[in-house]
Amino acid sequence: MPTEPESITMHGQKKSGECILKARELVMEFGRKRVLDGINMQLNQGEILAVVGGSGSGKSTLMRQLALLQHPTSGTIHLFGKNVTNMGELRTLPLRRRMGVMFQHGALFGDLTVLENVSLPLREHTGLSLETIEEVSMLKISLAGLEPDAAALYPSQLSGGMRKRASVARGIALDPEILYLDEPSSGLDPISADAMDELVLHLKKTLGLTILLVTHDMDSLWRVADRILLLAEAKIAAQGTIQDLVASANIHAQRFFHGPRGRAAGASHDQ
Amino acid sequence: MNRVHAQRGMGNQAGFSIEGPLAHCVGNWVAPDLHDVELQLSRTRWPKDQLQLNLDGISTLDTAGAWLIHRTFHALEASGLQVSILGANEKTKQLLDLVKARSISATELPKPYLPGFLEGIGRKSGGQLLQLYEFLVFAGHLAFIAAKSSLRPLHIRWPLVVKELQNAGVNALPIVGLLTFLIGIVIAYQGGIVLRDYGANIYVADIVGLSMVRELAPLITAIIVAGRTGSAYTAQIGTMMVTEEVDALRSIGIAPIEMLVLPKLIALIIALPLLTVFADVMGLLGGMLMAAGMLDLNSSTFIARLTEAISLDSYLSGVGKAPVFAVIISAVGCFQGFRVRGSAESVGRQTTVSVVQSIFLVIIVDAVFSIAFSKLGI
Repeated sequence: MPTEPESITMHGQKKSGECILKARELVMEFGRKRVLDGINMQLNQGEILAVVGGSGSGKSTLMRQLALLQHPTSGTIHLFGKNVTNMGELRTLPLRRRMGVMFQHGALFGDLTVLENVSLPLREHTGLSLETIEEVSMLKISLAGLEPDAAALYPSQLSGGMRKRASVARGIALDPEILYLDEPSSGLDPISADAMDELVLHLKKTLGLTILLVTHDMDSLWRVADRILLLAEAKIAAQGTIQDLVASANIHAQRFFHGPRGRAAGASHDQ
Repeated sequence: MNRVHAQRGMGNQAGFSIEGPLAHCVGNWVAPDLHDVELQLSRTRWPKDQLQLNLDGISTLDTAGAWLIHRTFHALEASGLQVSILGANEKTKQLLDLVKARSISATELPKPYLPGFLEGIGRKSGGQLLQLYEFLVFAGHLAFIAAKSSLRPLHIRWPLVVKELQNAGVNALPIVGLLTFLIGIVIAYQGGIVLRDYGANIYVADIVGLSMVRELAPLITAIIVAGRTGSAYTAQIGTMMVTEEVDALRSIGIAPIEMLVLPKLIALIIALPLLTVFADVMGLLGGMLMAAGMLDLNSSTFIARLTEAISLDSYLSGVGKAPVFAVIISAVGCFQGFRVRGSAESVGRQTTVSVVQSIFLVIIVDAVFSIAFSKLGI
C-alpha cells in the first residue's frame, strides 16, 4: 500500500473532518435507464452521512458503488485517497478490510452461527488464535447490541432486527474505518428501529466510525445523520444538515420533508 | 479508534518487549498484525511481583489490540501481580474501558446445540417418517383433486397444461433423442461383437429392439425428465413458497395443488409416453445405423427382423410404464417444492432431494414392473 503521510498525525490518527471517500460525476446506467446521473459527493472522517430518496431513486445503487460492490458506468471514486474506480478485485482487497458493510437483509451465511459469521473476517485476515478471535467476535456481537446467547444461533433462528445487528457485528469485526449501512431500520418495529439508531450513534462514538447510511426513515434522519444527501431523479436534489434540507426551497426536499411523515418526525424531534 | 493502517516496513509493526518490571508495547496493535504479539504474550515470563505496562509506543490500537491488552492485564492481576498501565492516551483509555465493559472469556462462550448420536438417528428417522406421511397426505390430496377435476374437465386449466407440455415435452425432444440414439448405437455395438462371432448378425435387431423398447427407452427418458423437468417443478414451486406466492394463491381462494400441480401432472402424463415412443424410434435408429455399419445388415432386413422380435406386449409394457413414471416425477417434484421453507438456500436443497428421490423411485418401480411382468409372462 502506498503511504499517505499527509493524512497521519502525530498519533497515527486521521484528522477529523478529512475527506476519505469522494465520488466525481458518477453515472450508472442499466440498459437505457439512467439510475445515477452525475453524482458528486464526499464522505468526511467521523461523520454520519445519510443518503435518502424515494424508492428507485438510486440510493442503494450509489451505496453499492461506494462500497466497491458495483462498477459505475462512468465517473470516478476515490477511497482513502486512492482512485478505486477501475481497480481490479484483487487490488481492492486491502481496502475492503478497512470498510464494513451491513446488508439490508443481513446477508449472513446461513450455515454458520452468528459467532462464526462474525469471526469469519477475523479468521480470514488475521493470524490470531481461535480463542482470541472468538473473544473479539463476542465483543463485537455485544457492541452490536446482541445478547451473548444469540451468538450460538443460526441466522434462520433470528428475527429481522437481530439479523441486522449480527450483520453490523460482522461489518465491524475488523474495526473498519467506514461502515456502510443499507436501510438499517427498514422492516423493524419502532422500538427496534430506535434501538438501531442508538446503535449507530454508539458505534460512531465508541469506535470513531465514519458511517454512510442509506435510509428513508425520517426519525433516523433527525436523530443520527450529521449530513444528508437527497437523491431524486438520479441526481442530488439537495444536501446539507437536516435543518438545511427542511428549510430548502428545492421541490424534492419540500416534498420529502414537508409531507405528513416528514413533519411528524420533525415535530417529535423538536419536542 | 480512527486508525490508519500504517504500512509494513515503516517500523510500525506491532511489538512487545519486557525488561525487568517494565513492559513496552509499540507499533500498530491492529488485528491483522497481532499474531506475533499474541504468541509472544503467551510465552512471556512475567516478573514476580510488579509490572508496569507502558502503552505510549502504540501508534494505532483497535478493539482486538485492546482486547489482548485487557486480557493480559486481567490474567496477570488474577495471578497476584501488581500491574499498572502507563502512557495510555485518551482514545486508548476509552477503548480499554469499552472492552472491559463487554468482556466475555472463551470459556463462557455459548455453543450451538448439537444433538448426540442416538438423538441424531432418532431425529433423522422421525423426519423421514414424517416426510413419508406428508407425501402420502399430498398424494391423497392430489388424487382427490385429480378425480374431482376429471368429473369437470372444463375446469382444468388447459392453457397451463399446454404450456407445461411445451416445456416438459417439446423442449425435451432434442436431449432425449440424442441420448437414446447414442444408447442404441452402444447396444448394437456391444451385442454385435458377440453375435458376429456366432454368425448371428441378424439377432442384433432382437437385442437392440427388446432392450430399447422394453427397458431402456422408458427408463432413460424418465431419468432425463426427472433431471430436467422434476427439478424445474421443485424450483418453481419452491421459489413461490419463499416469495409467499403460494400463500397469496391460497388467500385468493385458489387451491395451489389445483393451479400448480394438476396441470403439470396432466402434461407429464401425456408428454412422457410420447417422449418414450420418440426415444424408442431414436434408439432403434441408432441401433440400425450401427448394424448397417458394423454388421453389414441393411435397414430393410433390420426392420423386418424387428417386427418379428418385438411383440405388441413388449412394446406396450415399455410405453405403459411411462405414465406411472410421470406421476412419480411430477408428484415428487411438486411435493418437494412445497417442502421449501424460509430461504432461497432451501430451494436448492429441495431441488437436489427431488431429483434424487424421483430417480430412485423410478428405478425401484421399474424393477417392480420387471418382476411383475416376468411372473405374468409378458
